[in-house]
Amino acid sequence: MLRGNKELWFAFLAMILITGLYGLVVFLTRAAPPASELFGHGIGILGFLLMLMTETLYSLRKRSRSVRWGRMSTWLQFHIFTGIVGPYMVLLHTSWKFNGLAGVSTLFTIIIVVSGFIGRYIFTRVPRTLDGLEIEGTLSQEALKQARNLMALWHTVHIPIGIVVFITAFVHIGAALYYATLLK
Amino acid sequence: MRSNRLGCLTGTGLMAALVTALAIAGYAYARGGLMYNPGPLNSQSGEILGGVTSHAETGGECEACHTAPWESATMADRCTVCHTDIAEQMRAAATLHGTLMHDSPDLGCRHCHPEHRGAQASLTVMDDAAFPHEVVGFSLNGHQLTAAREPFTCTDCHHGDVTTFDLDSCDACHRQTDQVFMIAHTLSFGSACLDCHDGVDRLGKDFDHNNFSFKLTGEHVELACVQCHVNARGFGDFAVSSQGCDSCHRDEDPHAGRFGQACGECHTADGWSPAKFDHNLAAFKLEGEHAEAACESCHVNRQFKGTPMDCYSCHREDDEHNGEYGTDCAACHNPSDWEDADFDHNRSNFPLTGAHAGVACESCHSSGQFAGLSTDCASCHRDPAFHAGMFGLDCAGCHTTDNWFARYNGPHPGIADEGGRGVNHGGASCRDCHTQTLQSATCLACHDSNNPDDDGDGGEDGDDGDDD
Repeated sequence: MLRGNKELWFAFLAMILITGLYGLVVFLTRAAPPASELFGHGIGILGFLLMLMTETLYSLRKRSRSVRWGRMSTWLQFHIFTGIVGPYMVLLHTSWKFNGLAGVSTLFTIIIVVSGFIGRYIFTRVPRTLDGLEIEGTLSQEALKQARNLMALWHTVHIPIGIVVFITAFVHIGAALYYATLLK
Repeated sequence: MRSNRLGCLTGTGLMAALVTALAIAGYAYARGGLMYNPGPLNSQSGEILGGVTSHAETGGECEACHTAPWESATMADRCTVCHTDIAEQMRAAATLHGTLMHDSPDLGCRHCHPEHRGAQASLTVMDDAAFPHEVVGFSLNGHQLTAAREPFTCTDCHHGDVTTFDLDSCDACHRQTDQVFMIAHTLSFGSACLDCHDGVDRLGKDFDHNNFSFKLTGEHVELACVQCHVNARGFGDFAVSSQGCDSCHRDEDPHAGRFGQACGECHTADGWSPAKFDHNLAAFKLEGEHAEAACESCHVNRQFKGTPMDCYSCHREDDEHNGEYGTDCAACHNPSDWEDADFDHNRSNFPLTGAHAGVACESCHSSGQFAGLSTDCASCHRDPAFHAGMFGLDCAGCHTTDNWFARYNGPHPGIADEGGRGVNHGGASCRDCHTQTLQSATCLACHDSNNPDDDGDGGEDGDDGDDD
């Protein structure tokens, strides 16, 4: 499982496309797209939806016992793709202002992406089937134990960061709705 | 290893959630809504409204401007709590904000006045509204395209804030299109462009002076504006310019004001010459021969005003009466012909009555003398020999002008007065007895004898006095 890095190339391609679109808007309006206007707001919403998918879909598939659509490896690739592209779009949504709660949310978003990359490389140290099951006997017991411990440690750090990201993001969205979107 | 428990519900995850929630709540408690602030509020100080001089002074008190989505009040309602002058404008149609509200009832303050764009950012941005620029006194009708044939943007004229305007902006652009004109124009009318120009271009290439009450015709068409509108510095200065000819032409009046200031009664805008003077507009109407006379024959030395109107001042040399009839020629003569005189002798002290009325003038005025002739009868009439000098020269004592007939009823010694009335001698006339003169008499015309005692025939038919 996850032997290539196809998902990284797809993510890279998507980022180039989004960057091109962003550059076009900057060229036409001669300013960084404000977070509150069509383009800036749009990529913020889409980016956040991708981040939500990153957080939920892979986790749900992993825990679902009755419905087992698709291979775990595919879900993991999708998790990685959305986990890169979503935050990148959220970053462009900031219009390069990092003050207030939204700034905190952005900071933790960046942190969790970095954390995700670290997690990916810890995860790939254990050989697995396409459904994510560990393949016994390829690693020494010592190495396997070390990899599992590392993975457990990573989870302990990664999950709280994600919690912070989503709580601050939801409060930010609520405040944005209250103070801007639903303005009368 | 694997469980159905959600991945986030780990101990550290729940701890992180708690810490994050507490941090947000604590910050909100301490600093209000500042953590949601998308950018600094404007801090440029103005007048004190609502207890602050700038939006930034409200700090984290979001509710000062923001309303909750479930409230009926809008943000604009919050704005007008402090900006009461604007609230009044929004209710008055003739004002900028009144017009904006009328044209776009859904327009909110924030559409033109965004906040959170920085402490020094402009609070007025017109991107979201079709700004009715004419309401602020300048229409953009004439400013659709720049000198470079590109659409105008706000900053083409408003180099700084859109609420300020530098007059140099006009000059800088318009000199690019016609520098010579602009230099002359500003020299003539000053550089306060907006005092005259309101953007409708009514003074531009479509300007037509003939839309005003003073039409430009003839020589006036070619004039430069400033030749009449001297020192005009505002549109009002043009409107109040006097339309009287003298306001411009006073110094070039060759009549030195003698004809007054209504040049147009004789002259037209096509030129000073030819002039059309209607003498009949003057007090002295030109009739008959006067209409043909050269101006100079009356107006000597081109003295037009104050020329005497009595005949004699011009016709003294023409008087054939040698001044004897005074200076009022018009009493007898008319302007058509000297010969066509209408002399009424009865207006003289010698009215022509009776037989005098038919007499030729020369019969009395034989020497060409008309005035001062004696009115005595004897100056024309000799005392007849028949009178034998008995009655003197007072002809009128017995005669009238009707005829020379006279009658005598006085005492008449020597003849019988039949009837007692003096000379009632049988109806005889004077000449019946006085055949030669009144000094001599004869009875023989009727009687056979001159002897009174001889009562002859022939005397009974004379029944009256005398004649002739």
